[in-house]
Amino acid sequence: MLNRILADIDPLPDSRVLVGFDKADDAGVYLLDKKTALIQTVDFFTPIIDDPYDFGRISAANALSDIYAMGGVPKTAMNIVAYPMQKLGKDILRAVLSGGIEKLKEAETVLIGGHSIEDDEFKYGLSVTGFVHPQHLYTNKGFRPGDSLILTKPLGTGIINTAIKGGLASPETILKVTDLMAELNKNASEVMKSYPVTACTDITGFGLLGHLAEMVLGTDICVTIESQSVPVLPEALEFAAMGFVPAGAHRNRSFRQEMVKLAPDISPIMRDVLFDPQTSGGLLLGCPAKHAVELKKHLIAKGAQHTAIIGKVDGQGKDIINIV
Amino acid sequence: MHKTLDARGLACPAPVLMTKEAVEKDGLNTVEVIVDNQAAKENVSRFLGFQQYSVSTTEEENDYKIFARRQGDTVETIAKPENTLQPPISGQKQKIMVLVATDRLGVGDDELGKNLIISFIKTIREMGDELWRLVLVNNGVKLTIDGSPVVEDLIAYENDGLTILVCGTCLTHFGLLEAKQVGETTNMLDIVTAMQLADKVINI
Repeated sequence: MLNRILADIDPLPDSRVLVGFDKADDAGVYLLDKKTALIQTVDFFTPIIDDPYDFGRISAANALSDIYAMGGVPKTAMNIVAYPMQKLGKDILRAVLSGGIEKLKEAETVLIGGHSIEDDEFKYGLSVTGFVHPQHLYTNKGFRPGDSLILTKPLGTGIINTAIKGGLASPETILKVTDLMAELNKNASEVMKSYPVTACTDITGFGLLGHLAEMVLGTDICVTIESQSVPVLPEALEFAAMGFVPAGAHRNRSFRQEMVKLAPDISPIMRDVLFDPQTSGGLLLGCPAKHAVELKKHLIAKGAQHTAIIGKVDGQGKDIINIV
Repeated sequence: MHKTLDARGLACPAPVLMTKEAVEKDGLNTVEVIVDNQAAKENVSRFLGFQQYSVSTTEEENDYKIFARRQGDTVETIAKPENTLQPPISGQKQKIMVLVATDRLGVGDDELGKNLIISFIKTIREMGDELWRLVLVNNGVKLTIDGSPVVEDLIAYENDGLTILVCGTCLTHFGLLEAKQVGETTNMLDIVTAMQLADKVINI
């Protein structure tokens, strides 16, 4: 929808803009000198879980993720807060911001300011700035035939968050999904820099297939996803079978379904998981098949324990995602 | 008991939460849910199917009507004149749920316990039609995997129409999700719901 609204907006042209707002990428990139490009991103949302400290951790991990997806190193951050002070009081906000700080410290990123407003509905997030060498910048375009596709976190956080809203998730499940969403893509991003990665993005609101569709669109390639290989939180399959699929998953599907060819044996439940909007999801990246197994092992060794090779890029066909 | 729920204008997961609340609170035999989008239709149908209702949907203009009847329940006797002449259903069967949380029966000698559970599972068919749910949790899930001495018996029970529920969290914990040969993978909500609906729960 935002695409249509922004269609008439014509920003100042600047040859130093390496990735601009027309690219639908994770963050904007601006060339400073031959060795340095600036990456800027902003992300904020309403609470998805009850614990304020954990919400802070998750929102910060999510905001930092755009920098990591481009192969960058985050350096500075600013808080964005919309908060009903009368209704919620100081303590909750303090806990949220402390959770955010914990993640910024882990990311070796310094908080240098922020802005808050009074609002009936609580929202928290960050604007993050980082740096990248322009020759080691990863965008969401660049897949080549023969690439293997790698995903570093399991899917299903959107469905599980929906079940949490419905009061169905166990405390263990909440803990597990919280830690997963709060996990930084820092190590995964560092690891991928020593491999010939062709394109990368982080999986968030559009779900795996929505983000993959953006990577494939207009590139004359087709990709094949082996659904059996895609890491999925088992609880997400359970809750999806019970009807706890968020509206976003259905929106993602209706938006991209003409690009996606599902094999007849793919269950509607698995299909919904593949379109499930993720909060602070993993990195999805491509690299030549001969390096993929080694890269996968390296990612797992550095803490991205759910990493899996989930498919491959084929030459034939145009803008098609096959799910087998 | 029957209820009609109007969930039009609501985005997911609100329609399914509304349905869940009504089904749980009122123990409905039949329920009709009206929704106005495809996503809500799918979610509500799935939820009711999961709660052992048989579900049918119709489309009317821009709305979907989901009609569900609890499986195994007798048709609600609405006071129609012709119905009053039929004899009452006599000797209503009771619904027995057996919850097995172990792969050996009793405390003491493990070898004996393992033999006893085999014998228990093989003998449980004597309960006949009244055995309504067999629920396997904790070490009990190990009875459903490849190589279990009773897996053939459980498969036979399931083929005969017994609903066998196997705890998904437990399978995941033991890394046995793939090894399970029989039964539906389930979750705590479904187990608790089954307990509530059962006339008798036997814990092993």
